[in-house]
Amino acid sequence: MNWAIEVNNLNVWYGDKHVIKNVSFKVPKNIIFAVMGPSGCGKSTLLRAMNRLLELNPYARVEGQVKINGIDVYSDNVDITWVRRQFGMVFQIPNPFPHLSIYENVALGPKLNGLVKDRSELDELVKQALQQAYLWDEVKNDLKKPASMLSGGQQQRLCIARALALKPKIILMDEPTANLDPVASSKIEELMLELKEEYTIIIVTHNPQQAARISDYVAFLYMGELIEIGETSMVFTRPRNALTEKYVVGRMG
Amino acid sequence: MKSGRIFYTILFFFVFTSLLIVVGVVTSLTVTSYPIFSRDGLSFIFKSTWNPVKEDYSILPALLGTLITSAIAISISTPLAISLAVFSIEIVPSKFRAFINNISDLMASLPSVIYGLWGLYVLAPILHQYVMMPLHHYLGFIPLFSTKPIPTNLFTAGVLLAIMIIPFASSVIREAYNAVPYYLKEAAYSLGMTKWEAIKTMLGYIKSAIFAGIFLALGRAMGETMAVAMVVGNTFTFPKSLFDMGYTISSLIANQFPNAEAYNYMIPALYGGAFILFIVGLAINLAGLYWIKKVMIKS
Repeated sequence: MNWAIEVNNLNVWYGDKHVIKNVSFKVPKNIIFAVMGPSGCGKSTLLRAMNRLLELNPYARVEGQVKINGIDVYSDNVDITWVRRQFGMVFQIPNPFPHLSIYENVALGPKLNGLVKDRSELDELVKQALQQAYLWDEVKNDLKKPASMLSGGQQQRLCIARALALKPKIILMDEPTANLDPVASSKIEELMLELKEEYTIIIVTHNPQQAARISDYVAFLYMGELIEIGETSMVFTRPRNALTEKYVVGRMG
Repeated sequence: MKSGRIFYTILFFFVFTSLLIVVGVVTSLTVTSYPIFSRDGLSFIFKSTWNPVKEDYSILPALLGTLITSAIAISISTPLAISLAVFSIEIVPSKFRAFINNISDLMASLPSVIYGLWGLYVLAPILHQYVMMPLHHYLGFIPLFSTKPIPTNLFTAGVLLAIMIIPFASSVIREAYNAVPYYLKEAAYSLGMTKWEAIKTMLGYIKSAIFAGIFLALGRAMGETMAVAMVVGNTFTFPKSLFDMGYTISSLIANQFPNAEAYNYMIPALYGGAFILFIVGLAINLAGLYWIKKVMIKS
């Protein structure tokens, strides 16, 4: 089977602290894969180890393999900016560049990557990305206005559009609804279900209900260890591990 | 309760005293310069003579000198201040960062007479031989470089000012750059930006702070006296090129005040110059503060 991403024996340290402990898993294409676990279990670190964003932290050290299309992103001849451009990433705090316009926020990625030949192609790509993120109708007359004028939920959808405009295969989402109200959150969740037709989505969440609602496969991470992984329906109805059971019924963290 | 009241009384007294001093300075600037404005009106600002024998004074050449040297200083120091700030944060290994910042702060605290001496005996000859003479020789047809330079002139003063104000602009920019939220850095790098592209994006984000730093540095450049007086040439002529010897308002005041008592209108004229410098400097500092405020509201 052709996997979207394979993680083999991944270990991460911050200084002396071992935060991801020998984690391995494979993610099939065009599904939503949720990584759930209590705060501080290493979910965000795991996500950042996949697109090598972790290397912004000078104290982080990574060992192991992360393969996309059979290429290990950590092998010596792989360019780190290339790796990051294979992923679209959405963060816990909606983080559009507030000094750039709505249009520029989306256009930035494709411009840097040389994904487009001219202005009209760029316009088209920006429009597509905003449509896919269900934001186009709300902002089509305000494309020149600064991104900071949007509401939190709109900003998060703008960030999704920004990630989509990179034409990635995989979208990484780090608790994308943690700072949104319920209405905005459910909009993002609906959007994710649409997007998995075209993309593979890996979402990190501390909320087991969210994982149950939207994911096809789920992994439970606890103190840096992968405790359990499987089809979401199985993990939630018949967890094999006592810790997982405790977590999914809400008696932990 | 009682000791609190005493504390507030003392505090109020000191605050009031400081305010009173400021008001006093502005009042005496206005009152003392009044005779020259009432005699000459606006022609005190817009003529270009300084003739104590005829009691004929005006300020335009010195005002232009102030504006020209400050403009040179800002155009040279801005790219350097931005580079220094970015360099100290993004490039320098963290253990040397404090060292670089200390050097920069030390530069800011050196007495200006030291810059003046160094400017006169080290910087001016070097600029003269390696920058001004070649510019004049090859590009002398451009009015800016048309005067045959001697070492002390407006250009040398501008370059010296640039060196002096770099740490001021740089520290404002450094603080702002350090305050860029981590999640914006992550956003930049997650789009596959190179370090250089990410730095450009972050600088765009803090551009208001960059303007603020430049304005504050500009305010300082316009008021700087001692160092400028030592290298500007101190000649009262209408500047026709960057290589003309000249005056700035502050160097004019510093050079002329010893003789001023001997004339009827020179003291009002010098105060008039100070008054104009005060107004221009105030406007620029207010603009700088306005930008900083804007930055603070944003973040």
